[in-house]
Amino acid sequence: MSDALVTVTIDGIEVQVPRGTPLIEAAKQAGILVPHYCYHPSLPAPAVCRMCLVEVEKAPKLLPACVTTVTDGQVVHVNSDAALKARESVLEFLLINHPLDCPICDQAGECELQDYVFQEGRAATRYADYAKRFNPVEDFGPDVLYIPNRCILCTRCVRFMEAVAEDPVLNVSERGDRSYIGIFPDAVLDHEWAGNVVDLCPVGSLVSKDFLHKARAWDLDRTASICPGCSQGCNMTIDTRDNVVVRLRPRPNMDVNRHFMCDTGRQDYRWMNRGDRIEAPLIRAGDKLQAVDWASALDRLADTLRGADGKAVILASARASTESLGMTHRLLDGFELTAAVRVPTGHEAPLASIPNLALREERTPNVAGAELTGYTRAWDEALDQAVSAQVVVVLDEELAPDEFDRVRTAGTVVVLGTVDHPAYQAADIVLPIATMAEEHGSYVNRDGRAQVYRQAKASPGMARPAWWVAAEAAGRLAEGRAVPATAGDAIVMLGQSIPALAGLTYQSMGFTGRPVASAAASGVES
Amino acid sequence: MAITVKVMKRPTQEISYVRAALKGMSLTFKHMLQPSVTMQYPEEKSQDDWTISQRWRGTHRMLTDEEGRSKCVACGLCPQVCPANCIKLVAGEDENGNRYPLIYEIDEFRCVFCGYCQEVCPEEAIHVGVHYENSEYERARFVYDLERLQAQTHPVSTLWDPSDPRGE
Repeated sequence: MSDALVTVTIDGIEVQVPRGTPLIEAAKQAGILVPHYCYHPSLPAPAVCRMCLVEVEKAPKLLPACVTTVTDGQVVHVNSDAALKARESVLEFLLINHPLDCPICDQAGECELQDYVFQEGRAATRYADYAKRFNPVEDFGPDVLYIPNRCILCTRCVRFMEAVAEDPVLNVSERGDRSYIGIFPDAVLDHEWAGNVVDLCPVGSLVSKDFLHKARAWDLDRTASICPGCSQGCNMTIDTRDNVVVRLRPRPNMDVNRHFMCDTGRQDYRWMNRGDRIEAPLIRAGDKLQAVDWASALDRLADTLRGADGKAVILASARASTESLGMTHRLLDGFELTAAVRVPTGHEAPLASIPNLALREERTPNVAGAELTGYTRAWDEALDQAVSAQVVVVLDEELAPDEFDRVRTAGTVVVLGTVDHPAYQAADIVLPIATMAEEHGSYVNRDGRAQVYRQAKASPGMARPAWWVAAEAAGRLAEGRAVPATAGDAIVMLGQSIPALAGLTYQSMGFTGRPVASAAASGVES
Repeated sequence: MAITVKVMKRPTQEISYVRAALKGMSLTFKHMLQPSVTMQYPEEKSQDDWTISQRWRGTHRMLTDEEGRSKCVACGLCPQVCPANCIKLVAGEDENGNRYPLIYEIDEFRCVFCGYCQEVCPEEAIHVGVHYENSEYERARFVYDLERLQAQTHPVSTLWDPSDPRGE
């Protein structure tokens, strides 16, 4: 062990890191951020930006921290006079041609150039009399716009397309101070993962057309979440402004998606802002549905379930949280129960150089979670069962009109839905539930990793999380049955009856998730 | 029990109102003969010696460029700095790819006239004005939109200059 670890002193702080670690990562471990542009933990380091120059004792010159690996007993000064002076000069060079258009730049507020110039740059320019280099804005692809004037030529985008996506369409064209990021003739930046170059760009040079001028960085509320686009379960951040989701960005998780997220997931947020939502619980009164409060609706649901026996069917979406799926299953466990999820499919789009990272064929995030809580994928069989069932519960899944017509013949149809739908007029009870952006919850991805997503916006009207609806109804159905107060309680409660979820808590899942028990034991493959 | 009232014995000649009334009226008539210093606002508007300070912070004005378009680039700093949260801004892109405000509205009722918006503006577009006549017949008219802000013609405030604290 001691062989593999070396001790380095960085700005007076001693850290032990594995041999071969770049200095910049060792400094991170010491709690010191070495300013950098071209270095990125998920990309090869070329040391072109010269921003991470640090002073290493006994070295003749300043060394770039991103490619210098640690050696035992090294003494490094990140903030010595020589290093600060070098970085100040690098920043001055970068600003020779960088326009002062922060007020109209989308990156302002989350721009590394802005940050470091404020932190350690020169207060005034010495190049006021010189005209800046100018190149017109270039359209790179479906969602990416290149503004060459702002480019600092860190080449992160070039390296991402070359080494990570393995679809080398970008290059550094021209030489010297005329260089810019070029795209090969007739090539388009339309790779399935190309949107990542926008996140990688440390300045506002590569911008997303979708997000252009939409919000300022400081207006955004950021929430840690999980992408609901496929069974990969990429970690993401939901950025909202005034309760409206404006963009999704990847959140680093070295075990799932590293720093990346595909374009399909990135642009799949508009449904979170839909306005045509069910806003109040509806129960059947005569030939139409009547809006009531939650207590009446839950009483009606409990009464209906108390009076029925025989077959029950749950037609669920695998986009519902493990909590919601589990609690709904538990609500109906006195019946002869058939529970199924529908799994829509699409094409698979892997990110070439990262193992086990792709936009998956299964386009729902929680198939594994559904299977752990007692659901099958036998959707058509469940639909056949539903025709003659006493109770049918539709959980967060929009049924096609012909499917709904078949289900109507069942004794009681209960819909737990988000978006209002004309077909629901034929249901007996319609309960408004929150979407994944409006509740806490957890998903289990295809590798059996349970991950928490958190509430990013308020739910409209009286909508409540589906786990709450199911658990409250179950509490009314059976006296003395414990009702979870939070989504965290719900997962703990499910863990008591489902061995695979045993010991799972939001705290233990944290921000990066953890494998569920059965996956750790047998390696569940979905 | 009977209520007893204490009656003061005053010399009646000395407390006669006539003397005091004449004294007061003499002051009144004296002023009637002197030149008037009252300005009959609003029939009469300000004169040279009644100008308001250059640092006065009144209702806003948006300055325009040579083509008559607003100088605003919708950077979002004024809604951010505004302590009263009275500025509504939605950014957009015009036909030349320039960022500009699609919606720019200031609620003058909510405004506290601190002048921070003028101070923070990197384009010197939004200004508080040297102006005080703002009455309207409807409350809704106090939300000034971009067109209204651009149409204002009153002079703009110089704000307080730290290097010249007394405005000399």
